[in-house]
Amino acid sequence: MTENQPLPLVVENLTFQYHTRSTPAIQNLDLVLEPGQVMLLAGSSGCGKTTLMRCINGLIPHSYHGEMSGEILIHGQSVKGMGLSQISTHIGTLLQDPERQILGTYVLNEVCFGLESQGMSREEMLPKAYKALERLHILHLKDKETFFTSGGEKQKVALAGVLAMEPDILLLDEPLASLDPASAYEALLAFRELADEGLSVMIVEHRVEDVLAINPEKVLYMDDGRIIYNGDAAGLMDAVDYSRIKLPAPVIARRAKNRPAPHFQPTVPPIDPHSQPLVSFQDVRFQYTADTPEVLHGINLDIRAGEVIAILGHNGSGKTTTVKHALGLLKPTAGKVLLEGVDTKKSTVAEAAKTIGYVFQSPSQMLFAATVREELAYGPKNLRFSPQQVEENVNWAIETVNLEEELPTPPLALSFGQQKRVSIASVLSMRSRVLMMDEPTAGQDYWNYQAFMSTILQTPGFDAIVFITHDLDLALIFANRVVVLYGGEIVADGHPQDIFQDEEKLIKWRLMPTSLLKLNQQLWPKTGQYLRAEALSQFI
Amino acid sequence: MLVAWNYRYRNSPMDHIDPRARFIFSFAILFAATTTWNPNILFAVFVIAITWYSLGRLTWKDTRFGWLMISIMLFTMIVINTIITGGGAGGVVPPGGQLVWPDGVSIFGRHLNIGLTVERLWFAVSQLMRILSISLVFIMIPYTMDSRAYGVTFSKLGLPDRLAYTMELSFRFIPTLARNFQVTLDAQRARGFELDAGKGNIIQKIRQVAPLLIPVTMNAIVSSEDIANAMDLRGFGQRKRTWLYELKFHWWDWAIIAFAVVMLAAVVLLAYHFDMRLFSVPNWWYGLFN
Repeated sequence: MTENQPLPLVVENLTFQYHTRSTPAIQNLDLVLEPGQVMLLAGSSGCGKTTLMRCINGLIPHSYHGEMSGEILIHGQSVKGMGLSQISTHIGTLLQDPERQILGTYVLNEVCFGLESQGMSREEMLPKAYKALERLHILHLKDKETFFTSGGEKQKVALAGVLAMEPDILLLDEPLASLDPASAYEALLAFRELADEGLSVMIVEHRVEDVLAINPEKVLYMDDGRIIYNGDAAGLMDAVDYSRIKLPAPVIARRAKNRPAPHFQPTVPPIDPHSQPLVSFQDVRFQYTADTPEVLHGINLDIRAGEVIAILGHNGSGKTTTVKHALGLLKPTAGKVLLEGVDTKKSTVAEAAKTIGYVFQSPSQMLFAATVREELAYGPKNLRFSPQQVEENVNWAIETVNLEEELPTPPLALSFGQQKRVSIASVLSMRSRVLMMDEPTAGQDYWNYQAFMSTILQTPGFDAIVFITHDLDLALIFANRVVVLYGGEIVADGHPQDIFQDEEKLIKWRLMPTSLLKLNQQLWPKTGQYLRAEALSQFI
Repeated sequence: MLVAWNYRYRNSPMDHIDPRARFIFSFAILFAATTTWNPNILFAVFVIAITWYSLGRLTWKDTRFGWLMISIMLFTMIVINTIITGGGAGGVVPPGGQLVWPDGVSIFGRHLNIGLTVERLWFAVSQLMRILSISLVFIMIPYTMDSRAYGVTFSKLGLPDRLAYTMELSFRFIPTLARNFQVTLDAQRARGFELDAGKGNIIQKIRQVAPLLIPVTMNAIVSSEDIANAMDLRGFGQRKRTWLYELKFHWWDWAIIAFAVVMLAAVVLLAYHFDMRLFSVPNWWYGLFN
């Protein structure tokens, strides 16, 4: 870059307030992004990260309206005079959920969408599309239907669609949210490569520890709409509250020294290996339709009282499909699933709901009521609980997810993270014996998910808890049994310490060892158990 | 995420017909079938539509969902509206006529006078031929047309880019809605929801399905905003759009278009010039009831 060349992105004194809000979402923000830099933008839910991104990529003010002041310069030119499509030639945006971004029905068409919008001929666009696909190692997917790609593949396809347009600034909004650990790592390496080739990359991410692995040149930490920290990665470690974002475990352990360790005492009953399983999968095979491939290949799994089971596995490994069988939402093509000894083929889902409370991945697919209180009362009323019992359950559930003040609010008016917590509470209020949660931490910030997972596990009433997660640390801290699925089969099932000790296997199953796992293994002779980073501080 | 229809390549004659020719032909059938109530013309159009449908080599399994929807519509329109209440025949079938059961009928020991006339029954048959002709040519489109071809087809047929892409999105809206409905149904069943159609009055029934309708509707609204944002972020509307998917015209496509134009012109000519537009009942039909 020559000295006189304007910087790719400069934000000066930027403030924005949505029309629907009484206070600004972001205030007096300044930042500079240079060519070849990776910038990590971190902060807890609602801190203003997404608003800042929307201001930069033009969605504010084109799609979201409010009062904006300050300046955003792209290559020295103010965005005020630019249309969205003009901004899109410089800035490529990858949204948090690739399903909200993908437009094409086939991978190659999706990748070419932006090029078609630019009016390119087929001969011009194909080499660019192939180059983007090759860069992300997904050229083999070019003729695949986007709907049938896995979560990780969708993220890469969406990114390829952005890269094909050859932007010089890349905005990535929580790009790791739906990825398994290995896919997340591969995606991060791709972002680093792009920056090394001269792109300017801004990553908004809760998983701070993961992004630090690619050595971002700049780190910003936002809180309540303001930039609290703007510097290098090393400085961040001591500049922010370690309970708000996920820092590397050794850092948390060092900083938590001399502070009381968080109290955590799970309340599920002790495991009785001879008891009748609450749920029993017996050689379960499943395919969605006769002309599609089998997705579960002989699953055998007993869930007993006292177990806290983490189900891990790569994108598309069959985790959700397996769990849906427990409730009878899906019925096995072969084999059977017994719920308290009864074949799920012979009972209704509503009957199964008395035993199993199942929290779906996406809250927006289930929330409907006029208030959060009504939403939480819906399940227990369906199960014919008494009005007093409904009231008690609603109050307990809302306290568990720490949203008491939102009881009179319409659930659909809440933020995504809050909606997720309401969806969890609406299942908790049914006080089912077995709680099953599909990606309970998705869309949550570090503090919130640690808090509600701790609360749920310390709340009496559940015989067993099952959760699907991509977060190895969550399994390590909270589970007493880990089940790993790989390609529709259970490849590992046992205590976390038995499953997690073989790093090679973890990598093979696309689960990456974390700093918390490594620290736990290092301190194992002293602890004899897996602990969260704060609790490990006393053993260092 | 928008879902595509369950299309697969069958190497059928329909797979080799250019989508533009297919749409032109389908609309020609639509206009021909709605131009007249003449039974002979409707029958001819119906036969052409069946022949066209057979070119797709579709199986019942492929299309049963679509036909189920059409059966519900046909039942409502023909059995209830036309045969039972007679409402749908108003304005087309002249009042009066020959009763099918002039002496009434006995059902479970009760004598009933049913006002169904031979003319209304023929009207039901004509209506069935008309709706089936239209359904046959349109229902096959999602199952026999590559999802990549929609936008470019509408664009090449002369629609502006924005409208052409909107048409593509509209086609994909129905399977997307069906998928979202299933996800929401599963989520509510997991909270003890059971659809019990037998209980309560109409207000209570509406309230009962609110947990299904509200999330599906809200999701449809939110996803339409997402789609608009995703398109904007990738420069949609910046300039005249090009399309990766290529369409190729063959001689048989021209022949199909020529046939469609001649067919439609013939129907219009017969209907308006030779006065074969209005509803009439053939004599042989009366013979069946004497």
